[in-house]
Amino acid sequence: MTDRPARGDDGLDRFRDLTNTKDPKLRDELITSHLGLAHQLARRFAGRGEAHDDLVQVASIALVKAVDRFDPERGVQFSTFAATCVIGELKRHFRDRGWAVRAPRRIQELYLEVGQNIDRLSQELGHPPTVPELAAAIGTSEDAVLEAIEAGRGYRTASLDAPDANSQTMGDSLGSVDSRFGHVDDRSVLASALEALPERDQVIIRLRFIDGLTQSEIAGRLGVSQMHISRLLATSLQRLRASFTDDPQSLDA
Amino acid sequence: MSDHDDQEMSDRSEVITLSFPARADLVVLARFTAATLAARAGFDIEEIEDLRLAVDELVVSFEAVQAGGTVQLRCTQSGTELLIECTVEPGSDADANQGIAGGELWGADGELSKQLLDALVDEHGREHRDGGPCVWLRKQRAHSGR
Repeated sequence: MTDRPARGDDGLDRFRDLTNTKDPKLRDELITSHLGLAHQLARRFAGRGEAHDDLVQVASIALVKAVDRFDPERGVQFSTFAATCVIGELKRHFRDRGWAVRAPRRIQELYLEVGQNIDRLSQELGHPPTVPELAAAIGTSEDAVLEAIEAGRGYRTASLDAPDANSQTMGDSLGSVDSRFGHVDDRSVLASALEALPERDQVIIRLRFIDGLTQSEIAGRLGVSQMHISRLLATSLQRLRASFTDDPQSLDA
Repeated sequence: MSDHDDQEMSDRSEVITLSFPARADLVVLARFTAATLAARAGFDIEEIEDLRLAVDELVVSFEAVQAGGTVQLRCTQSGTELLIECTVEPGSDADANQGIAGGELWGADGELSKQLLDALVDEHGREHRDGGPCVWLRKQRAHSGR
């Protein structure tokens, strides 16, 4: 009699093979064969203000990690283990990226649409879009676009250390950018004030206010959206003000 | 935006004035008003985002935001240009009016505030007027013909 748990529907023997051989083809097959689980779990988190594609991406990355970390000798079915991992990752995603200030669902969804269309239209038009251009592209009113942008202040900014789809963090991108600061005039008041901020916030502020890059240029350099940079700048300036006033709520509206 | 639209816009001048208690949670009113006028002036979304940060900066320049005065905001859209002027009537705290003069909040003489606004708008300043201290900014739409 063997001590191994009985083979389940999700193929524990194949995971044992993967553990022994590290065969990349087998790994891919196992990931692919369980992608349905990731999609299914992502759907459970739909309608909470996050784009479906983003949720699927988060769930899929969590699934890949689950395949790599799964130990078939622990007596647990892979689907059980993977579901726990994926749900945990989705919850973390909402914790890091969710709405700090609760906005109506239509505004949350519109905000996501605005962000996606800014990047798309910027590429198509060769310049950042105007509000009328955004409204026309989305099929909504200009007032609604402005309302969504303002509501974006209530959206938590993702941690720079949160991995993206390529398991790269924005902090990784910042590393190479940071080395360019040798030419910065560190005698400026701003440069001195920045010392009160975490390094990652310093980089964003420096790029915008000392190096003079536009939000789009920073976004392009760091591989994130312009709206993401806009949120980071607003948050970093709030922190800067708070560090001056000892008021953590300074302009936090 | 066509040349015809630009011509119509340049002929148009609108003024909006706001008065609200100097509380951090109400700065959204100033941001939204400025963004709405900027959108009507044909600013692109990035210019509007910069303007919103600048308005935060403008309003917070007053220590009165912490001291409970009343913010008077005047937004003037002239064609493709936006002028925003901000004054604060001090509240019961007699020291509130000193924020603009001393620039205490953002370091000596408001140098930090100046550096931030330099990057966000075309022109800005702080001065004493009849109604008291005033901080203002001017931002022009960068590109014509949109």
